Amino acid sequence: MKLVIWPLLITLITSIYFLYNHFIGNSNIINDNFPDIINTSYIDLLTDASSSPTGWNDGDRVLFLVPLRDAAEHLPMFFNHMKNMTYPHNLIDLSFLVSDSKDDTLGMLKSQLNEIQSSDDPLMPFGEIEIFEKDFGQSVGQGFSDRHGFKAQGPRRKNMAKARNWLTSISLKPYHSWVYWRDVDVETIPPTILEDLMSHNKDIIVPNVWRPLPDWLGCQQPYDLNSWQESDGGLKLAKRLDEDAVIVEGYPEYFTWRPHLAYLRDPYGNPKTEIQLDGIGGVSILAKASVFRMGAHFPAFSFLKHAETEGLGKMAKAMGLEVVGLPHYVIWHIYEPSDDDIKHMEWMAKEEIRLAKWNEIMDLYYKNFKNSFQEINFDDWENEKNKMMKNSDPFKLDRKVIVDWSE
Amino acid sequence: MSSFQMLKYQATKNKNIKIISSLCLFIFLYYLISSSNNNSDSNSLILENRKNSPYTYSDTNSLNKKKKKWFPENLPNNHISHYDLNSVKTTKNPLQNNEKILILSPMANFHLQYWENLLNLNYPRELIELGFILPRTLDGDKALKQLQIEISKIQNSKDDNIKKFSKITILRQDNDSPESQLEKDRHALQNQKKRRSQMATARNSLLFSTIGPFTSWVLWLDSDIVETPKNLIQDLTAHDKPVISANCYQRYYDENEKKNSIRPYDYNNWAESNEGLRLAANLPDDEIIVEGYQEIATYRPLMAHFYDPNGNINDEMFLDGVGGTCLMVKADVHRDGAMFPNFPFYHLIETEGFAKMCKRLGYEVIGLPNYLVYHYNE
Repeated sequence: MKLVIWPLLITLITSIYFLYNHFIGNSNIINDNFPDIINTSYIDLLTDASSSPTGWNDGDRVLFLVPLRDAAEHLPMFFNHMKNMTYPHNLIDLSFLVSDSKDDTLGMLKSQLNEIQSSDDPLMPFGEIEIFEKDFGQSVGQGFSDRHGFKAQGPRRKNMAKARNWLTSISLKPYHSWVYWRDVDVETIPPTILEDLMSHNKDIIVPNVWRPLPDWLGCQQPYDLNSWQESDGGLKLAKRLDEDAVIVEGYPEYFTWRPHLAYLRDPYGNPKTEIQLDGIGGVSILAKASVFRMGAHFPAFSFLKHAETEGLGKMAKAMGLEVVGLPHYVIWHIYEPSDDDIKHMEWMAKEEIRLAKWNEIMDLYYKNFKNSFQEINFDDWENEKNKMMKNSDPFKLDRKVIVDWSE
Repeated sequence: MSSFQMLKYQATKNKNIKIISSLCLFIFLYYLISSSNNNSDSNSLILENRKNSPYTYSDTNSLNKKKKKWFPENLPNNHISHYDLNSVKTTKNPLQNNEKILILSPMANFHLQYWENLLNLNYPRELIELGFILPRTLDGDKALKQLQIEISKIQNSKDDNIKKFSKITILRQDNDSPESQLEKDRHALQNQKKRRSQMATARNSLLFSTIGPFTSWVLWLDSDIVETPKNLIQDLTAHDKPVISANCYQRYYDENEKKNSIRPYDYNNWAESNEGLRLAANLPDDEIIVEGYQEIATYRPLMAHFYDPNGNINDEMFLDGVGGTCLMVKADVHRDGAMFPNFPFYHLIETEGFAKMCKRLGYEVIGLPNYLVYHYNE
């Protein structure tokens, strides 16, 4: 009879355990009454906004943030990636900030979103979608070289930082568990990007960002040089500069000798390898929502001589948070030609035309040449030559020639 | 007889075990069938991609099951909403423009006088949003209970004369905070850095969870401010400054003079001094300077000492550090990124670091030495 009691006891204990978890373990004293109060919500940041490394199975809501500026042409590609994402779409809230755009970014955005949201597939529509319009005024042009020139970097970074801070502060809700920053001009990215980054369970994590190149430039190249580890050279440089200076990576004006995430890539390396970072790039950042709630943001001023995403890395470090990069896990940015590249491509195009013309001229020349001279049969010439030369065969020159000199 | 055999024997004898085991088997089979059905029947792009994914996706990803309590509700058509922030204004006449005010109060203890004072503010409640954050302590539990009772009196009132606040958000802190909030422990110098760092985190969590696209002004009002002028919001916004702080005093009974009197309370409103700068220059990077301790003499001009009972209530002074007990901030300043550093920022932390960050962002910080608000007397 004793043994009959055992299974009963086990069921009893497990049921008590589950009941306890259900009613006491996770719940807070009185929160159940709050939904009854008009316009009032009670959120426990510990349980309602927790972030788990398997968030897709734990109902973690992801706030997906995309800053947009004159980006209409990239949107179809971007939304193709969005449709393919494996993370439960209903758990993803999208927020876009459209600023200072001269093309039809807004119209394109809305039509693409409406298409996705009215899809037949019940798994396709995303959670809440917010589009914000705010112009910050821009101090620099939006051409590749305008944006990436050295002088433009400081003011441009500070403006971008403001835009990013606006977007986080107005869209972050108390129940978000993760915040994901993504640039719209990413060309190739795994559909599991969120799970891949989330499973590392880090405060802030970024992948490696490369870009494909035309074959005459070597096929591929590191793109995002803003993800780096601090170096002695970098710290020394920072000390030397004045308070408002902003160090930007990837320019010969500032040599920092920092190890860049981009250059640490091994195409055959383990994609899960992590390295610690101090500055990060903004192409694709996954962070726990608590990071932004804690106050970490993109400094729109010179914070320890850095701004925007690199400043976020520095600030998160100052807060004691963990900032990590994945050197062998790569996403691909689109290739936008620089001014030099454009010049080179212009030269290549001109060269092509010139060669075509040259070939045309040469064709004509050969034609004329052919017509102006008589064609001679080579074999006849060879026969005649043999006949003419046979008596003067040099190999027979050493024959003895006898001359009779007598009279 | 081994126990397994015994169990087998019991199973053949005992009807209940049979029923339970068959029930278990049935549930298990049902689970298997339902989960496999879900994956094979659909030709969804997402499910197709998940087949190549190295991760497993539980059944809860279907739309009906919610693992977490909170999710967006009342979503518009296709879930898309559009906001034009270029039209949001922050002016010195917030009433005329129907500007929205967000009042934020970190709350360790609930004081009824605080709540009554809040209710007495004569700015329309439909333009006011409230935000509270409470620590994970027993005090926090108690404050939460009292807060809930008082809020429901207003928000759930059947009386049409009682106007309701447009939105109230109450947050429970996720990080630990020190149990003791006694006056003595709270102000011990060695506890300051940790305590104020946690305070800064709480303020930031509250701010970044509640500030919305249409917020024009943010009023930081500590939950132990029990008396302010009725026109507080209009008075502070009228100065049209990015960051403006009232002077925080405390009412007490003067034993020597045998009468009620007032004394300065918040010493964190100050202008920088040469001595302060010199101290900071010689400190290690991770050290902080806090005001109001004899151990650190900064000789900074403290706004608390600039109160003149006969002075003009609108007199302004430039500040470099603020206290946050009663502080009006243009929402744009916060949205640009100004927050309360929970780490040493120019050797400053929390509200004092906030003032420094505002200045780094190019905003001026102003104090009103003759405009008094009163702190609870413990």
